[in-house]
Amino acid sequence: MERREFLKTWGCGFGYTAFAGMAAQAASAYKSPLAPKAPHFPAKAKRVIWMFMQGAPSQHETFDHNPEFASAAAKNSDLIPPLFKFQPAGQSGVAISELFPHIAKVADELCILNAMHADSPAHPQATIQMHTGSFNFVRPSVGAWTVYGLGTENQDMPGFITVNPNGLGGAQNYGCAFLPAAYQGTPYQTRTGKLPNISNPELATDAQRKQIDLIQSLNKGYSARSGQDSEIEGIIESYELAFRMQASVPGVLNLKNESEATRKLYGLENAATRDFGLQCLLARRLAEAGVRFIEISHGNWDHHNNLKQRITQTSREIDQPIGALITDLKQRGMLNDTLLIWGGEFGRTTNGQNGDGRNHNNRGFTTWMAGGGVKGGMRYGACEAVNGSAVAGKVHLHDLHATILHLLGMDHTRLTYRYGGRDFRLTDVHGTVVKDILA
Amino acid sequence: MFMRSLWTVSLAAGLCLPLWAQTEEKPSAEALEFFEAKIRPVLAKNCYQCHSSSSKFVLGGLSLDTRPGIRRGGNSGPAVLPGKVEESPLIKAVRHEGRKMPPSGKLPDAVIADLEKWVRMGAPDPREGSVVWTESKIDIEKGRQYWAFQPPVKPPAPKVKNVKWSAQPLDRLLLARMEAKGLRPLMDAGRATWLRRVSYDITGLPPTPAEMDAFVKDRSRTAYEKVVDRLLASERYGERWGRHWMDVARYAESVGRGRNYVTPYAWRYRDYVIDSFNQDKPYTQFLMEQLAGDLMPAASDAKRNEQLVATGFLAMGSHDLIEVNPAIFQMDVVDEMINVTSRSFMGLTVGCARCHDHKFDPIPTSDYYAMAGIFRSTEILSGLQRRPRDNVSYFNASLLARISLPAGQEKTAWLTDPEKIREWEDLNRRIEAARSGRFARMAQLKKNNPQARPQQLIRQEVTRLLQELDRFPLPKDLAMAVREHQRIADCEIHVKGDVRQLGKTVPRGFVQVAGKANESGFEISPGQSGRLQLAQWLARRENPLTARVMANRVWLHMFGKGIVPTVDNFGAMGEKPTHPELLDYLAIRFMDQGWSVKKLIREIALSRAYRLTTAHDARNALIDPDNNLYWRQNRQRLEVEALRDSLLMVAGKLDTARPAESPAMTFKRGFDLGRGIGTRPADYSVTMNHRSVYVPVVRNFLPAMYETFDFPEPSETKGRRETTTVPTQALFLVNSPFVIDLSKSAADQLLSNAGDGAGRVRTAYRQVLGREATQQEVEQSLTFVDAMLSTKAGAHDEKTAWARLYQALFASAEFRYKG
Repeated sequence: MERREFLKTWGCGFGYTAFAGMAAQAASAYKSPLAPKAPHFPAKAKRVIWMFMQGAPSQHETFDHNPEFASAAAKNSDLIPPLFKFQPAGQSGVAISELFPHIAKVADELCILNAMHADSPAHPQATIQMHTGSFNFVRPSVGAWTVYGLGTENQDMPGFITVNPNGLGGAQNYGCAFLPAAYQGTPYQTRTGKLPNISNPELATDAQRKQIDLIQSLNKGYSARSGQDSEIEGIIESYELAFRMQASVPGVLNLKNESEATRKLYGLENAATRDFGLQCLLARRLAEAGVRFIEISHGNWDHHNNLKQRITQTSREIDQPIGALITDLKQRGMLNDTLLIWGGEFGRTTNGQNGDGRNHNNRGFTTWMAGGGVKGGMRYGACEAVNGSAVAGKVHLHDLHATILHLLGMDHTRLTYRYGGRDFRLTDVHGTVVKDILA
Repeated sequence: MFMRSLWTVSLAAGLCLPLWAQTEEKPSAEALEFFEAKIRPVLAKNCYQCHSSSSKFVLGGLSLDTRPGIRRGGNSGPAVLPGKVEESPLIKAVRHEGRKMPPSGKLPDAVIADLEKWVRMGAPDPREGSVVWTESKIDIEKGRQYWAFQPPVKPPAPKVKNVKWSAQPLDRLLLARMEAKGLRPLMDAGRATWLRRVSYDITGLPPTPAEMDAFVKDRSRTAYEKVVDRLLASERYGERWGRHWMDVARYAESVGRGRNYVTPYAWRYRDYVIDSFNQDKPYTQFLMEQLAGDLMPAASDAKRNEQLVATGFLAMGSHDLIEVNPAIFQMDVVDEMINVTSRSFMGLTVGCARCHDHKFDPIPTSDYYAMAGIFRSTEILSGLQRRPRDNVSYFNASLLARISLPAGQEKTAWLTDPEKIREWEDLNRRIEAARSGRFARMAQLKKNNPQARPQQLIRQEVTRLLQELDRFPLPKDLAMAVREHQRIADCEIHVKGDVRQLGKTVPRGFVQVAGKANESGFEISPGQSGRLQLAQWLARRENPLTARVMANRVWLHMFGKGIVPTVDNFGAMGEKPTHPELLDYLAIRFMDQGWSVKKLIREIALSRAYRLTTAHDARNALIDPDNNLYWRQNRQRLEVEALRDSLLMVAGKLDTARPAESPAMTFKRGFDLGRGIGTRPADYSVTMNHRSVYVPVVRNFLPAMYETFDFPEPSETKGRRETTTVPTQALFLVNSPFVIDLSKSAADQLLSNAGDGAGRVRTAYRQVLGREATQQEVEQSLTFVDAMLSTKAGAHDEKTAWARLYQALFASAEFRYKG
């Protein structure tokens, strides 16, 4: 590059425009691993919001209305009957526990899977399996598979964000294992309010632009000497992406511009609902910004005792925020192509424990979905009344994963990655798409 | 790998396969004939639609299509009680007593009578269901024809046209292939570029400006050799090549998974690996020590320690300490050892044969269990135990190996204060007491306070005591290692990997296809695990894989790509070698030179092919766009360690001394890391100034920089790293306090030396990019420094302005490549 031309590109503030043309050229050779990819077939959902309930919520008090169980429990002192009433809700008349008045209002959107089952009754294993399909081996997270399969729509944002990830299993829950690092989830803590390294602690934007222009000038020279190597062009592009990310991410994470009405809708003014309300609102904003896979987390569902009191509390913390999220997405026309998933790593027993408590039950539990391509206002599957095991319409977590990928337009048997001599899948050799719930 | 779901499902459902699987006598031929003629068709026709493992919903949880299914029954218990006609629910149902089956209508009386007769006979049933075991159909002898199982053959000297290009056999093997395709190798890289490349490749550090000057000026014929020999003699060499091996050995300082406890002594293995490379220990010895060091003779205590520490290789696996079933846990640990051993040394995925014959390679399940016998007869001493009864003391120092420290060292090594020793011993006694007699104490606690939850009280007490114990430094004379198991035995084939479905017992042994038929000299006696024999068998010259796999790893790290690109998999699902003759040449060379890794590296580093430029060539690219034929050198990205070490070095901060032990020695030992206050490991990549190989690798808590720059997941063998390009890398380089601070340190140093601006720019370029800055670059840089000083919020002083320049160089693509 001539010196004069160079000065123009970085010295006088025209750098960015001058660069944009170059980046466009480079883009033809270089393909970002996060560039949007066509699904295997037309997708019903473009993105996922997973509401993970760590600790395993009891289905009997929340979304599994089972009168047979109630009457069996009346006769059998080993069992604890459901502690809350269920009422038919919406036009569909799906029964929702009285703990969830707000969610009941959007009951017609819910597709409740009452016969989920998983392979481990221990929290850490089950949490990891719910996220990766395996607890025996370190495997990519469902979010990583999704971004690997579809790329992401907005290159200025990470493709997979996990908000306040829970400690059980740690990074494995959003890790990419053997997939390239580009597909790992980006953890975001609402208490810090920012993504790591998203802004320069010392340089103002225009000063930093000058620095980046110098970097890019060096890079351009290097690229020219290297014969337009696509990998180097990828690095050049990554700086522009980073610079744009810096500009857009804080805006997306900043909830200040939300109206008073919206804040109220999500329950941000109320101490009980503030934390999860914030996460739900954030999820909507991330979804709007084109983030492909969003996970938000709520904990404290491991109710081995004092179930009645504790589940009242935890349910209150999520009810209004979730109701708000569904309502909000719907009014923005986004519910159609956003798949929501609610559930824990497993559920709880019909038997009692420690007075009014319930133990772990991975043989039968409830997860629900809403939006993006699932039938609303329905329940699917059932558990046996006394032992609480899934018996009809069983959905293993592998089936859930297969169904999620299907809704995103991907065949879970075709989404593979070759590692260590074999083609790996999220669902391994398992998984059946639950066709009956597809809209 | 994908094999565990069967038993997990049955385990999860709370079902136990009945003992009959092993104990029941085989039904007579007539009984089976009756079943096939009269019973199976009836069941299939009338019942399977709703009651078989393939029906859409297995109604009532009852499947009648297997013997386990029919005996175990569904939600309301067994369907058939052998011999007990009146009590068998299946009979009641078909008689329409109570439940009426099949729902479509009652079966003919004759059919019901057959069913009754069958139950009376004891319900003979050959349908094994999931317990079917078929003999392997793999033809081992045919499998041996595959290229990787054939011994390497020294290739004849290739005929090349351009004889002047190089006289080295290695180069000529490459050139012959190029010439056959009409490719011409490009020119050599400049001297500075080669020096930067070879310095990174051998030591992981850039050349200093003084080293640059010396080499560029050295016009002697041996200039290149001198550099390579200097680098190989440096201790930095072992740190870099040791780290390569640590990727293979899935090195980490915590166990990972369900209960992620620290393994505080892992660093001994780290140091062992580094030292072994620095000593240029013959690779076969290195291999044998890691698999069987505890069983090899040692001339001194020091040597015995070294060999014991080497076996930490086997104890380093990621195990799920929370696993409920001890038998499953044991077989998972065994599986982990089989995996790491076979991938590391043989480039084979033997682990795939756990549940069935290998689908792609000639490895029958019996080979897997032959190896499983060896490793099940081996006990790992990782300091960790599965599910202790108190659910707290996963870490237990008594589950580690003792090494013998020199007399003087021992004293300082452990507590010297007798008072402290008493305290420590007392604490251990109390912990032991709290753990034992647990049930009596629970009853007592319950008696004292009926409201109490004794289990929790005891757990709290043990937790508290363990926390107290954490205050004491760990003993010094411990290490992770393995030893022979008290129970040495052959292993049964676990049908479909299920610990409850045991098939025939197979004698301990190795992967047959990689050996010769009726090979002798490696017999395993009844009292030995067979690890030593396995190590000897792997280390023998005739093993077709051992030398090839390691030579290929060396090639990978010198050229950025293996001759077999899938370096951990030489099997059918791996990629074929691009240059089979070259691979054989290198393997034989490697063996002929006493399995010396340094000599192999030296030969490659001094080859013409290694010296070539990374530049582009339109003509060659048309013929061979991916440079499979090595007409140029591959452009290779710096790994995170090289990147971090270079930053520290340029900043004048790099501490090249080896740190004593590891920060992991100070981690809380009584906790699942990250769960509990103060248990989350710090990010040592930003707090330590030591080389990156010494930054603790804690599973699930990799330093942010490591995650960003493609550090491999440390739970499985990963001989070849990914290279990704993502904006988070750019963000790290332009925004992280780590890089900003190091840039300032570099600027500090620069400004403390006399010199004008242009000279300073030149120095910075030499330090960071290993080359001279062009005149244009000097001017450009000076303008930038001025601009920073004159921009609001750019830089408030000269040092900061120069720091911004350093940072730009650190962030440049050129810096991120080896040259």
